[in-house]
This record gives sequence, C-alpha cells and structure tokens, in this order.
Amino acid sequence: MQSTRVAILGVDVGGTFTDAVLLDGGRVRTAKVPTALRQEESVLAAARAVGAEGVVHFAHGTTVATNALLERRGARTAFVANEGFEHLLHLRRQTRAHLYRLCDEHPPPLVPLERCYGVRGRVGPNGELEPLDLSTLPDVGDAEAVAVCLLFSFRDPSHERAVVEELRRRNPGAHVVASHEVAPEFREYERASTTAVDAYLAPVAARYLRALADAARDAGLPEPLVMLSSGGVASVDEAAAHPATILVSGPAGGVVGAGLVARRAGFEQAIAFDMGGTSTDVCLLPGGRAARVAERAVGGLPIRLPTVDLHTVGAGGGSLVTRDAGGAIQVGPESAGAHPGPACYGAGGGATVTDANLLLGRLPAELPGGLVLDRAAAERALGDIDPQAVIDVVNAEMLRALRVVSVERGHDPRDFALVAFGGAGPLHACALAEELDIEAVLVPEAAGVLSALGLVAGEERRDRVVSYVRPLAEVGELPADGDADLRYRGQSFELTVPLQHDLAAAFHHAHEERYGHAEPEREIELVAVRTADVTPGPDVSLHVTDCYKVEGPALVELHGATCWVPAGWHGETNDDGTLVLRR
Amino acid sequence: MNVELQVIGSALRAVAEEMGAVLIRSAFSANIKERRDCSTAIFDESGRMIAQAEHIPVHLGAMPDAVAAAMSLCLTPGQVCILNDPYTGGTHLPDVTLVSRTSLGYAVSRAHHADVGGMEPASLPAFSRELYQEGLIIPPMLLTAEVEQLFAANARNPDERRGDLRAQISAHRLAERRIDELCTRRGRERIAAAMDELYAYSERMVRAAIARLPDGTWSAEDVVEAVDGELTIRASFEIAGDEIRIDFTGTDPQDSYNLNCPMSVTRSACYFVVRCLTEPDLPASGGAFAPVAVTAPEGCLVHARAPAAVVAGNTETASRIVDVLFRALGNRAQGQGTMNNVALGNDGFTYYETIGGGQGACADGDGPSGVHVAMSNTLITPVEALELSYPLRVERWHLRTGSGGAGRHRGGDGVVRELRVLEDCRLSVLAERRAHGPHGADGGEDGVPGRTLVNGEEQPAKVTRQLHAGDVIRIETPGGGGLGSG
Repeated sequence: MQSTRVAILGVDVGGTFTDAVLLDGGRVRTAKVPTALRQEESVLAAARAVGAEGVVHFAHGTTVATNALLERRGARTAFVANEGFEHLLHLRRQTRAHLYRLCDEHPPPLVPLERCYGVRGRVGPNGELEPLDLSTLPDVGDAEAVAVCLLFSFRDPSHERAVVEELRRRNPGAHVVASHEVAPEFREYERASTTAVDAYLAPVAARYLRALADAARDAGLPEPLVMLSSGGVASVDEAAAHPATILVSGPAGGVVGAGLVARRAGFEQAIAFDMGGTSTDVCLLPGGRAARVAERAVGGLPIRLPTVDLHTVGAGGGSLVTRDAGGAIQVGPESAGAHPGPACYGAGGGATVTDANLLLGRLPAELPGGLVLDRAAAERALGDIDPQAVIDVVNAEMLRALRVVSVERGHDPRDFALVAFGGAGPLHACALAEELDIEAVLVPEAAGVLSALGLVAGEERRDRVVSYVRPLAEVGELPADGDADLRYRGQSFELTVPLQHDLAAAFHHAHEERYGHAEPEREIELVAVRTADVTPGPDVSLHVTDCYKVEGPALVELHGATCWVPAGWHGETNDDGTLVLRR
Repeated sequence: MNVELQVIGSALRAVAEEMGAVLIRSAFSANIKERRDCSTAIFDESGRMIAQAEHIPVHLGAMPDAVAAAMSLCLTPGQVCILNDPYTGGTHLPDVTLVSRTSLGYAVSRAHHADVGGMEPASLPAFSRELYQEGLIIPPMLLTAEVEQLFAANARNPDERRGDLRAQISAHRLAERRIDELCTRRGRERIAAAMDELYAYSERMVRAAIARLPDGTWSAEDVVEAVDGELTIRASFEIAGDEIRIDFTGTDPQDSYNLNCPMSVTRSACYFVVRCLTEPDLPASGGAFAPVAVTAPEGCLVHARAPAAVVAGNTETASRIVDVLFRALGNRAQGQGTMNNVALGNDGFTYYETIGGGQGACADGDGPSGVHVAMSNTLITPVEALELSYPLRVERWHLRTGSGGAGRHRGGDGVVRELRVLEDCRLSVLAERRAHGPHGADGGEDGVPGRTLVNGEEQPAKVTRQLHAGDVIRIETPGGGGLGSG
C-alpha cells in the first residue's frame, strides 16, 4: 500500500510542443518535447522526459479531436432528422459567409447531402403530433457514425430514442449519437450541429484515447483523465463517447492553471492572457475560476456545450507583419509558424511581432536551447516599419479581446489581475495592463507550460443540463447548487444566475445590471438548470527554487517564455515562484 | 493609418457591435432576437457614419439620412430621437430607428418591428397604395414616455413593441457610456480627430480601389413584378477615375402600389454593390461612399414622392437595383432577387420572416444555397423557437434541390418552407422572381423562379388574404443564376 513517492502528472499536447508537468512531493518539474504525428507517443515521451515515476494521478489535454475536426479527418457520418428537415445541417441559420463576398462559402457541413436522411413522425412543443414510423427510416449504408436530431427531442426524447435503438440494431458497428444525449436544448440547428460533430469525431477520439490508455498502462502510468472544454476532467470512456466535449481541451487547461496561480497569489478576480505563436486566448476568471459559456463555434460549426469562455484572436508572437494599400500596419492572421519562424530565427522568415520585440530590446540575444537571434535579419524584414508601431497594433487587438471578455460582459477590468502566460504573453502584459488600468500582472514560473500545470490541478467535473422552458413560478423544487438560465417570457437569450432562494429577484437584478432596466411586471421563464458533479482536484503545492525582485525596465527569462517589465513596473516572486508585478 | 487611429477605430467598432449584442439579447420579437433584423452604428458630430456593426446592408447604407433628420432636433446628450418616416430619414415603416446624442456624435439603432399598425397584421400589406395604410408614421421626434405609449398603442402587439423598443434604448444607453469612457480615457479632441481620419481613410481606400477598375459606362435593365404589371428599372453605371456615378434615368414612374423606394434605400442598394466591387473587407465608414454619386428622376420607382406606399421597396425593389447593377457589370449571375417576406397575424400574434434562396454564381465559384443574397442577411427563426411562441407549425424546411441555374459555375439552390397556421389569421407575402427566374450570365442558365402556394394553390407574387386554422403556406424560393456555359 505504501508508496515512497506520490506524483501527479499533467501532459498537454500542442501543435508544436508537448508539455509535461510533474508534481512530485511538492516539487514541480517541467519538460517539453516535440509533438509527434501519433500523439500518444508524444505523451509518453513527455512523461519520460519529466521523469514520471510513482504517478497516482495523470491528467491529459489533447488536440486530437480539434485537429480531426479542423482537418476533416473524422468518421463517415450520416444524419437523421424528421422527414422534411433532412437538410438542417446545410441550411444552418441561412446567413451567408461574408456580407460582401457573395460566393464565399461556410466550411462545408460534416455530412454531405446524400447521407442526410429523414424519418416520419413528429413531436411538437406539447408532445407527439404524428407517431413515429420506423419503417420510413432509410438504410444509412456504410456510415461509421450516425447523428440523430429530431425536433423537440429536448422536451420529449421518445422518438429520438426509438430511432437510435433501431439504428444500433441495424448497424451494430456504427457509433450512433442522439441529440438529446449531447445537448438537450432548444434551437434545432445548433443541437444538430453539436450532435454531428460528436458523432463525426467519436471513432477517431476513441481510437486515440484507447491507444493512449493502453500505452499508459504499459508504461506503469494510471489511466489518464481528459481535460474537457468546460475546464473539468472526465474519464477516457466518457471523453471517447462524447468528443465534442473535449474540443477546447488544451486551452481549458491553461485557464485552470491561470486560476490556480491567481488564487494562490491572493487574487480572486483575474483574467487569463495566453499569447502563443499564432493565436491568443483570453478568459475571465471571476472568483479565480473560468467563466463558462453555453455555446462556442469551432471550425465554423456551433457547439452547444459548456465551454470555458475563451475569446481567441488570430494573432500571436509569430504573426506576420504587413502594410496594406492605405498604409495601415496589419498583424496576422498569417503566421511564420515554427518553420521558418520569425525573421530573427535566420531561416528566411518574414517580419513578425517577435522581430519587433527583439529590436525593442525585449528578447535576449540567445534563446534557451541555443538559438542566437539575428538582429540584422529582423531589421531587414521590418524595413521602415517602426517596431513600436507593430507592438501597438498587436496590443490593440489584444486590448479588444480583453475588453470583450471583461467590459462587454459587464466587468470592470480594474478589479482584475492579469495572468500572463504562453510564449509571448509576459512580453505584452504590462503594456496591456496600463491601458486597462489593471494594477497587477501575474507571471507564473511555468508560464511556458501552464496548460499542463492546469491539468494536474483540474477538478473532476460532469456537467448536466435540464431544459425547462416554462414559467419560473410554475417550477417546483430546484437543486441547491448550480446555475439557472432565465429570461423574461418572450426573450430568446438568457441570463445565467446562480441558483438561490429568490431567483426572480436575482434575475431582475441581473437584467438591470446587464441591460440597464428590469421589468418586474413581466413573467420570468426558466430555460434550463445547469448543475455539475464536481470532485475537487488534487491539492497542488508548489515549491520554488529561487526568489528574486525585479525593477523595470528589465527582461526576465522564464521557462519557455520571456517577460518584459517596462519602466515604472516592479515586482517580486511569491512562494509559488509567480512573479507579481505592480506599478 | 497611424496606430492610435487603428486603436480608436477598433474601439468605436466594438461599441457598435456591443450595441447590437445588447439589442438582440434583450429583445422580445423573433424578428430581432432570433433573426437579428437590426443594425447599429456610431456617427460623428457632423452626422457622418464612422463605425458600424455589420448586420443588414439595407439598414446601414440608409442610416446617414436618419441622422441628418434627427440632427434637425438639436438633441442634447442623453436625448433619443425616434423616426420611421421613409421620407424623412426612414426606409419603410416597420424599420424603427433611434438616434441618440452621445458626448461626441450620435449612436444609431435600426430594428424591424414585427407590427407598426396599418391595414394588415405585421404591417406588410400587399395592396397598400399610400403610406398611411402601412402603419404609424413617426417623423423625427424626441422619444418620450408619451411617444412610447402612442407607438405601442398603434401596434397590434403593444407589449412586444414596448419590450423591443426598450431593448433598443438599452443599446443607446450603453453607447453613451462607452463613448463617454473613450473620451475620458483618450481625450475628446483626439477621438474627434480620429473620427475625421477614419472617414478619410475609408474614402482613400475605396477611391484607390475604384481607380484600379477600368473606366467606362455600362447599363442594364430588369423588371419587378408589380400588382398592376411589370415595372422596369434602368441604370447606368459609370466608372471615371476614382469615382462612380449611378443614374436611374429611364426607370418607370413610381408604382401605384408599394414597390417604391425612397432615395435613401436606392442609395443604400448602390453602396452595397460598390462595397462588393471595391473593398469587401474594409471596416467601412461613410467615407467609403463619398466617391459614389447616385441620381434618379424624382417620382420614379427608385425615387418615390411622398406619400407613395413603400413597404416592398426596401426589400424587393432594393434587391432588384442590386441585380440591375451587377447585370450592367456582367461579371456575376443574379441571386434570388427577393427576400420572400412572409407576414402572419391576428389579434393575438404577429410574426414576420424573410427566407433565403440561391445566390448567383460568381466568376470564382458556385453560388451558395439557401442564403439571403444581397441587401439582407437575417437569420431564419429556428423551428423550435417558432413553434414554442406562435400558433404555427413548420411542416417542411429543406433545400429546393436543382433550382440553381446550370453553368460553369452553378447558381445556388433555393429552399422550401411550409408553415401550417393553427389559428385563423391574415397572410401577406411580398415576393419577387415568381414570373422570371434570376438571370444567368455569360451563357449560364437562369435560376428557377420562386412559387408561393396556399393549400397547394399557386398565389401571385404579392398577396394578402385570409387563412383558416389548418391552412398550409408553401414558399419555394428562387435558385440563383448560373455563370458560363456548362
């Protein structure tokens, strides 16, 4: 029973690198290995590199599902809807892809028209309108996966359940998903889209996760828990059954890690700012935990599932800098990537944000790992473009993203600390904080591998949603803990209010806060109740090797990231090794 | 463009977008909350459009006239002007526009309300012959509690109207706060200077793009299917250096029914085409339209004189103006050329939707299927949202496969939508392209014309009639034209 060492392992697979964090008796060890084609090999390589032994808890963030969706490598999928509604996935919500480029197309639906089928039978808002006739259910051919989305199944799933059972009976090899199992909420297109994504990804995700679980067992590691888009973790079997829940797995780990760092530094209100090479994710952390949204688009497809409320901008350290016909400086969305990389890597790359940072003296002459940065190449690539102007432009993009998650959601950024991570986050954070009047910037010691740290700290979480869509006054007892989605009868969008004794008063108050007026005479409708079974994550304690103070202007080199401390800023590390910067 | 300018430009656009989000999220009618038939924008002190949320093209191009009309009231900060009169700043009566004074310029919201009174529920009568029949006319006036009461009292669903109007007001309150914050943070003078420069920047970009197009004059004509027979729109499109001149001389006199466009709507349609041709990705300010001159003889279909009825001009004639201009330029096939307006209502409910169809094929690709093709980009109401709130049932909703015109590039397909009414009610359908399919170009085939059926019986392009519980309306929307011989 006794184990001499009790270690916790987190492995996050990214596009370029796979990061590992090992918590071993309070000590933190990190490692970075290149991501291989087969992700399970990278995971094991990272585990070896970090010296994982005696691991009792193993958490994992993966991009397998996301990549399979973006690269369209999912299963051959069929779609079953009510007769007359077969083309739901193709009709979307009828908006065009671009207002003024008239032939631009949305990303094509995951299921082509010839595999979209209908079945006779209909449920309406108040129950069955026409009995289900399973004899009209067509043969779905050689489909490997089937998504079933019938109208009003979020209220009465009986037809959908019968269709799914019949499909499973007829096609024992196929993976069949019912929309009410995945996203039991109204709005058929969004629910159908979520279900189709889930079905499309299931065979790919299941293959990978089972291979990983096997490899982990062979390596003496416990079965991994998988990070969900919601910021919780689930078992391999659960994630494999519904891979639409793991599309934001890696970034969710970063957000959880940022929350951990902020709470331990004594900041209850924080904003996570994760600036990588090609994109930047920001997320509000009220109470030190990620805010969640009920829907998010991935690869142009709506996913109606609880997801950390990330706002993503297509600009990062490696984004290319250009000038348009009107003389405006553009940053991104194209990126120099890892190869050739920024101009200063000396491999023939174009001008990037990183080059501008180098010319401004915010990067060391040599990166950890021995890459000597080529200043002359950076100068040549930028030409007559002022490097400070490049930083200002990219910071304007970042500011807009930070405002979207804070100001636009009714939060004053001045009440928040900014947690900066990712390769480029700590370079830009102080300037952004100044613009938003934020007083404190937190730079975790593991800024380059924070997602992996978040994985080890993740709580086990199973989200449940119960759809009501009926007057609040007529609803009986509700759970004690969780959130309620409420609206005035007649509205279509809900405000989410924590479950409490006087829900009505709480909703009027929230409406007043958000929209500037409440209408107490209007009837309130309860749309859904969201609850989660949560098992707290492991108690993570961090021990630091060396403490230091810093006074701007200064450059601080961290594991996998560089921090720029401008003039007027100063700071010191706390017990976790987090650099707390203030003005 | 300097960096501060880019930063301020982003901030102003963010204000317009946030206004739109607040309006949609707190609105009550399906047409605003689900279909997002609304637009928002920020204007400067002199009434020039500086930033907009990209929602509905027909709204946006016509907004400067609304601000000009509101400015005559000399608003003070915090005051809100309401208007819908097509002859003083409006488009058609259901589009209710609010203009409020901020600490630096104006905030504008325009939202299509599902009923503003008039002779038929949902205020889209097929047979109106003068504006008075189309609803309550609101010339520019201060929005007070009394005006709100008057407005609600004249609509068939006063509770919903009040809710939607308050959602609009919320958007304005937000804009006022945000512009205040911006001025405090960066200085009012700098914001004002940035607004000037943002306007000039769009103008420079669009002028440069026009200058890159070959000079010349092209002309074309096409028809709309009026109640009394077809009416012709003629247009000439001239590119000269860095300017565009569009003239509608030769267009038929105004319709005795309601296909008429006030000049603001005609200009809006022209601006849309210029935007597609020049700088589709530019975050536009009013400067983008400074190089464009639009003229039309007064009293013609596209420059109607008060009190001509206008309800279908905004959706249908505007669509055809776009078709005529693209046809003159010859490089793309026509899209469905109609918005397929369907309005239903009785004493208990009013419901309005517009339905997408086939886009015309472009030189570089097939036309998309089942979308709004030009001056609108509203969403469809989800079946479940519709059935939860209205005495309606959706019987079918699918692509009208094969309706797009053949060609080297195919036109997009239209759609089929069937609604069963569960109560006795009035129906109005304002549609086009029922007699003639959208034209193909360069040897491509025409799209299949649309159809409107009630219980299987074909209806004219414009129809208002009684329905009984159980009746089924079927709309088959037109396919887009093809481009190039197959």
